[in-house]
Amino acid sequence: MILAATLHPESTISADDPLVRLRQGDLDALTDILPQFQFSLYRFLLRMVQEPALAEDLFQQTWLRVIEKISTYKPSRPFQSWLFSIARNLAIDHLRRKKSFSIDAPDEFGEAFVDNMAIAGPNPLEEVLEFERGIILSEALGKLPAIHREVLALRFEEGMSLEQIAEVVDIPLSTVKSRLSRALDSLRKHVEIRLSKGDVS
Amino acid sequence: MNSHESIRAMLPLAAAGAMPPQELAIVEEHARTCPACQRDLQTLRLYSDGLQELPQPVLPAGLLRRTKARLIQEQEKKAAQRWRALTLSLLVLFSWASGLTSWLLVRAITGGVLSIFGVNLVAVGIWSLVSAVLAWATAGVAAVVMGKRDELVRKFL
Repeated sequence: MILAATLHPESTISADDPLVRLRQGDLDALTDILPQFQFSLYRFLLRMVQEPALAEDLFQQTWLRVIEKISTYKPSRPFQSWLFSIARNLAIDHLRRKKSFSIDAPDEFGEAFVDNMAIAGPNPLEEVLEFERGIILSEALGKLPAIHREVLALRFEEGMSLEQIAEVVDIPLSTVKSRLSRALDSLRKHVEIRLSKGDVS
Repeated sequence: MNSHESIRAMLPLAAAGAMPPQELAIVEEHARTCPACQRDLQTLRLYSDGLQELPQPVLPAGLLRRTKARLIQEQEKKAAQRWRALTLSLLVLFSWASGLTSWLLVRAITGGVLSIFGVNLVAVGIWSLVSAVLAWATAGVAAVVMGKRDELVRKFL
């Protein structure tokens, strides 16, 4: 099954597969497809746009786009990557339309942070309690540029390989690597600055 | 860039678990003998682990129901648009066909000459022009009427 093959690569394609049915125009097939991706897709969109109502709107737009473009979907490609690339493009389009917002503006720590890494001293993230760590990281993630948030979310929350991320974001593998490195460094810097100010709620 | 610097640049990818085993082995080998890289690798791994355990959002209640309702609504809207386009096309076609039939009839009746103010109305060019204007005007009026009707339907639903 195409959908099953996306989730379990060892499976075979059958005519009953929801994606095959959707390609044939059967909208009822969405009843089987939507629940499988609803949480991860919504979570990804929320990480991207950071507003629940907007994330829901983009979630719905993503599925509208899926129905429109399902005939162009190639079963050889993992459905998850295809779905997330549609969602990602819609989110980026929205962020681009927000004039005050730049999707790729490097933050003050975004570039060449490796050279600035502290040589000594304790790691402040280790010092905070575990439940606080998640909150601090989550807030710091929200302050990164969208192009950094997306690679971090795709890698660490969706568990995608670098190749899959390259496919979703539509950039070369080498760019994914450099972007992921910079995003992680930038996140670290944000957290360290915040913790050094003692600004922990 | 010396070996230490090049390996420092590789630390984030190593921490992200996004490095081939051979390269990871080189990074880890270096980190065993370099306290700075060892500490940074540990720190970045703490971040990588933390990112996998972020507080999870709550899925909005009724998200699936609202999504399906919107999908159905959009599909219906598209079906209505297709129906409108088809109706308008048929209307234009009918208008052309009736124009042509009328032209043949009027030519047969008048013997090919129907002058008003010195203009022969049954000449091919004039009749075609009038027919085209009438056909597109009919389609335009029909489009406006159908649009108004859809607007009213949306208002009352």
